[in-house]
This record gives sequence, C-alpha cells and structure tokens, in this order.
Amino acid sequence: MGFLTILKKLRQKEKEMRILMLGLDNAGKTTILKRFNGEPIDTISPTLGFNIKTLEHRGYKLNIWDVGGQKSLRSYWKNYFESTDGVAWVVDSADARRLWDCARELHSLLREERLAGATLLVLANKSDLPGALTLQEIREALDLDSIKTHHWRIVRCSAVTGENLLEGMDWMLDDIASRIFTLD
Amino acid sequence: MSVAIKATFWVVSFGTLGYALFKLVKPNDELLKQFDEGSKFTDARRVSHQTVDVLKEAAKPDSDLKRLSRRDAQRLEKLQKAHKAREEVDASNENEDYFSGSFKIKSEYIEDLLMQVPTLELNVLPSHFDSIKREVNELQKYVVTSSFFLKEFNMRKYLGIVQNLQTKCYELEERYVPRKKFGFSKKKIPKSHTEKQGSLDENDSARKTDNKWDEKLFGFDSQKDKVLVLENDDLFQRDVALRNLTNCTVGLKGVMGTLHLTNLENCVVLSGPVTSSVFMEKCINCKIVTACQQLRMHSSSNCDIYLHVTSKGIVEDCTAICTAPYNLYYEDLEKHFNMSGLDRNSNNWDRLDDFNWLAPDIPSPNWSVLNAELRNKSWDEWWSRIPS
Ligand SMILES: Nc1nc2c(ncn2[C@@H]2O[C@H](COP(=O)(O)OP(=O)(O)O)[C@@H](O)[C@H]2O)c(=O)[nH]1
Ligand SMILES: [Mg+2]
Repeated sequence: MGFLTILKKLRQKEKEMRILMLGLDNAGKTTILKRFNGEPIDTISPTLGFNIKTLEHRGYKLNIWDVGGQKSLRSYWKNYFESTDGVAWVVDSADARRLWDCARELHSLLREERLAGATLLVLANKSDLPGALTLQEIREALDLDSIKTHHWRIVRCSAVTGENLLEGMDWMLDDIASRIFTLD
Repeated sequence: MSVAIKATFWVVSFGTLGYALFKLVKPNDELLKQFDEGSKFTDARRVSHQTVDVLKEAAKPDSDLKRLSRRDAQRLEKLQKAHKAREEVDASNENEDYFSGSFKIKSEYIEDLLMQVPTLELNVLPSHFDSIKREVNELQKYVVTSSFFLKEFNMRKYLGIVQNLQTKCYELEERYVPRKKFGFSKKKIPKSHTEKQGSLDENDSARKTDNKWDEKLFGFDSQKDKVLVLENDDLFQRDVALRNLTNCTVGLKGVMGTLHLTNLENCVVLSGPVTSSVFMEKCINCKIVTACQQLRMHSSSNCDIYLHVTSKGIVEDCTAICTAPYNLYYEDLEKHFNMSGLDRNSNNWDRLDDFNWLAPDIPSPNWSVLNAELRNKSWDEWWSRIPS
C-alpha cells in the first residue's frame, strides 16, 4: 500500500460522525434509516430497543443510532447524547394530532447540555401522503424559529419515495464537518 | 566527490532522521508491542503494521511527509487506545457465553458499589456515584455494541438489568445526596403554545381539543351511541383519526394511510387495509378489526383485535388484549387490499411484542390469542348496529 493511500485511509477512519435519529414513535425513523442503507422498507417492525447502523457516505463513516420510542427505554436516550454530532429529528407530517407532543419533546431535547453544539436536521417525513402539512406549518408548529442554540434546518422528505433524504443528510454532514474536522 | 562518499553521507543522514523519528513516537512503540505480543486481534495488528509502513516511509527525507506522519502516528495512538477499549467485544469474544459471563461480573461489581453507598462518608459520595454511573454507562455500551450477536430477547433482558442498576443508582443518589434532578423529564412547553395549553394535563393528548391543528384532523371525534361510516373516496391513503368515542360502531370501508384510535370505549371498529400503521391509545372494551403493516397499541385494556399485520404489532402498558385473525368482509375488500400494497399472505396476528415484558422464555401475560370459540365469525350485521 502506498503511503498516501495509507494516510487517506487513516484519516477516513477518523472522519466518523455520530448521528442520532429521534422523534415520536411512528414518525418513520427506522424506515428512513433502512432507506438510507438501501434495505427493504416494507417489512419494518416497531423498534424494540434500538438499531445501530454504520454506513459510509461521501467518505464519512456515519454511526447512526435509531432509538425506539418505547417508554421504558426513554430514560436511556440521554445516554446516547454524549458525543453526538448531529440529531435528525423526524416528524410525521401527516400526524397533526401529535404535533404538539412533538414540539414539546423537541424543545426539551434541545435543552440537553450534552447535545450542545449538535447540528439539528428536522425531517418533515411522509410528505408523500395526502393531507401532509406544509413545511411552513410544521416549522411554525415546532416553533423552529425560536431555536438559537443549534444550527438547524428543516427538510420536507419521504422515506417511501426517497425524496430529499440525501439532500437533508448532506446538509447535516457538511454542517458537522465544517465544525469538527479542521482542515489539514 | 566520489560516489562512495556521497552514498555514505546520505545513508548516515537518513539513518539519523529515521532514528530520531522512531524516538519521537516512542509511546507508540509501547502500544505496538502490547498489541503484537499475544494479540489475536488481527485488526490491531494490521493497524500496527500500517504504522510501521508509515514510519518507514516517513524516514525518507521529505519534511512534509515527516510532519504528516508524525501527526498520523499520534492519531493512530488514539485509535489504538480506543481499539483496546473495545477489546472485550472483539472477534474471539463475540459469543453469548463469553458475553453473559463478563456481563455478570460487571453487573455484580456495580451492585457491590451500590451496596457500599450507605457506609460511605457524605463527602466522597458524589464521586462514588459518578463512578457508578460511568460503570453503568459502560456496561450499557457493552450490551449495545454486542447487539449484533445477542438475540433480541436477551438483549432486552440485559438492557433491563442495566436499567435496574441505573434506577437503583438514581434512587440511592436521591436518598443519600440531595441534589438537583436531571433535566430531560422536565417538559418545556414551546412558547407559542404556552398560553393556550399550559393548564392541560400534558400526558392526556386526548384532552388537547383546542390544538391549533385540529382542523387538519380527519375522522370522528366526541360521539356517543352512533354508527359512523366512511367510504374509500374519503379515506384513500389519509391519516384517519377516531377519538373520544363511546358506544359507537365505526365502519371504514377503504384504504387508509394511518389510523389513529384514541380514547375509545365500548366501540367496534371495522376497518379496511391501512398501508402503514394503526396507532391505538387508551382504548377500553373495544373490538377492532383491522389490517395494517404495523400495529402500535398503548395504554389499552380489554380489547379484541381481529388483526392482519404484515410486519409486527407491539403493546405497551396494555392488559387483557386478545388477538384473532382478520375476518372482515365487504364488497371491495379484495380490491382495497391490492391498492394498499399489504401482502395478504403475510400475517403475524399471533406474534405481538410487549414492550413491558422482558423475560425471554415466558410469554407476556398482557395479551393472548382469543379462543376460537369466542371469536366473532361474521361482522355483517355490525355495519349497522351499535354496541350494547
Ligand atoms: N407514506 C409514508 N409512510 C411512511 C414514511 N416513512 C415511514 N412510513 C410508515 O410509517 C410507519 C412507521 O415507520 P417506522 O419507521 O417504524 O417509525 P419509527 O417508529 O419512527 O421508527 C411504517 O408503517 C412506515 O411504513 C413515508 O415517508 N411515507
Ligand atoms: Mg423505529
């Protein structure tokens, strides 16, 4: 192996990011993760415990944690916060009923000290469904404009059609990269 | 100058450079030795060989490379340390026997630490609790990183044990060290909703009837003693919500995207295929006939579910739930199944997971299969009948 290849490899090894997928249950977290990983999405069961996926994307090694919404495990969420680089907050755009719960959970999450500095990507998922709320409506319902403590962005997407998933992720990766990898 | 002298000059200067460099990264050598000696960990070995390659290359008289490689050697050291920390889940140890053995040792060690708490002086307690938390956290990470070879049930069992340790730790800490509580459970209400919602019980989503997004809800709300029916033209792929219904029969003859059932009492729900999930909460004494990809049932009791579920159903905080196979019939059902994309041949109606039940070998007491004699054979008359 040539020297430069080795150097590149070593550096790639370090280009590791830790990303947490959070949100109310049924929002589509697991589906998005599987979609991202190119796995079939029609056999997904409600998540017991959590899924951890390590994927390579654009030379980064992504460690993605998809945490189940089960109440008995919620007290664990905080254990994943340490050294998290980015949070993908997944919202079911068609579920107006629980938007308020969703807003409350998101804002209490953002007050977590251990998440300070983490990049926030809000994925307004299930945009393929008729009756899905618009981006503006969700932005308003979640009171996103009041967030000053984190870099954030909202993207309308669908795990079923794949629309905008990559765009959202890429924004998050770029934002994280500009923060944690100083240029050589 | 003769070629020989030139050659000697270069050899000597390269040699010195190389030697100096090896000296510089000395701490690495120690690590490398540790890895090579008796180490079965091929990964570590590869890394160490790479280091040697890097160092060899770096001994050449190119200052950029030297600088880079020195930094990379430092990075490598960090990596190797991390690697070492992962040793216990490394290849040879990736099996459940080994895991359960070391899990036991670690959890007992934490138990010991917890037992010491009452005997310790107040001034050492905070650091004692800190180290317990660190241990618990590490143990949890150990379980999680082992998830790829642990069986799902066992994984939950181990996590249950870890959680118990954690709870115990927090209980003891609260008792012995008065301190401020952790913030995550404190719910913050986003500003724009505070005035409107502040006084409502935050857990009772069914009561949030002045939710601003209510006009977006589609379905039935707050009805009593009624027969309520919706057809496919209205339902198709929508997010349908039924809530606060008492003594009602609801017929949903169509394909839905998602179906939410919240706060239903003594109701019969006859539903066509639901493409993604059926979400039930706070339902009591109901009969639900539905087909879906996922069923998620929370805080409900005494319900019979006639179910077609293509992936899995879960229950959480539920009791006395019975399941039976989906047996609804209406004229366009077959057509609707095709439109929904649900696989008619894959039905896990008798395999619910219980989020509250971690024991691997004993079935959950919270749900069971409905006795065949007790099952309703036909729902035909129910399309127009109110539950008694
Ligand atoms: N129509 C539609 N359904 C989706 C989408 N993403 C997820 N779902 C469905 O929503 C349900 C819940 O998804 P899941 O990934 O298990 O949610 P989680 O609890 O957040 O992990 C499943 O039935 C999915 O098929 C989407 O983008 N569009
Ligand atoms: Mg999930």
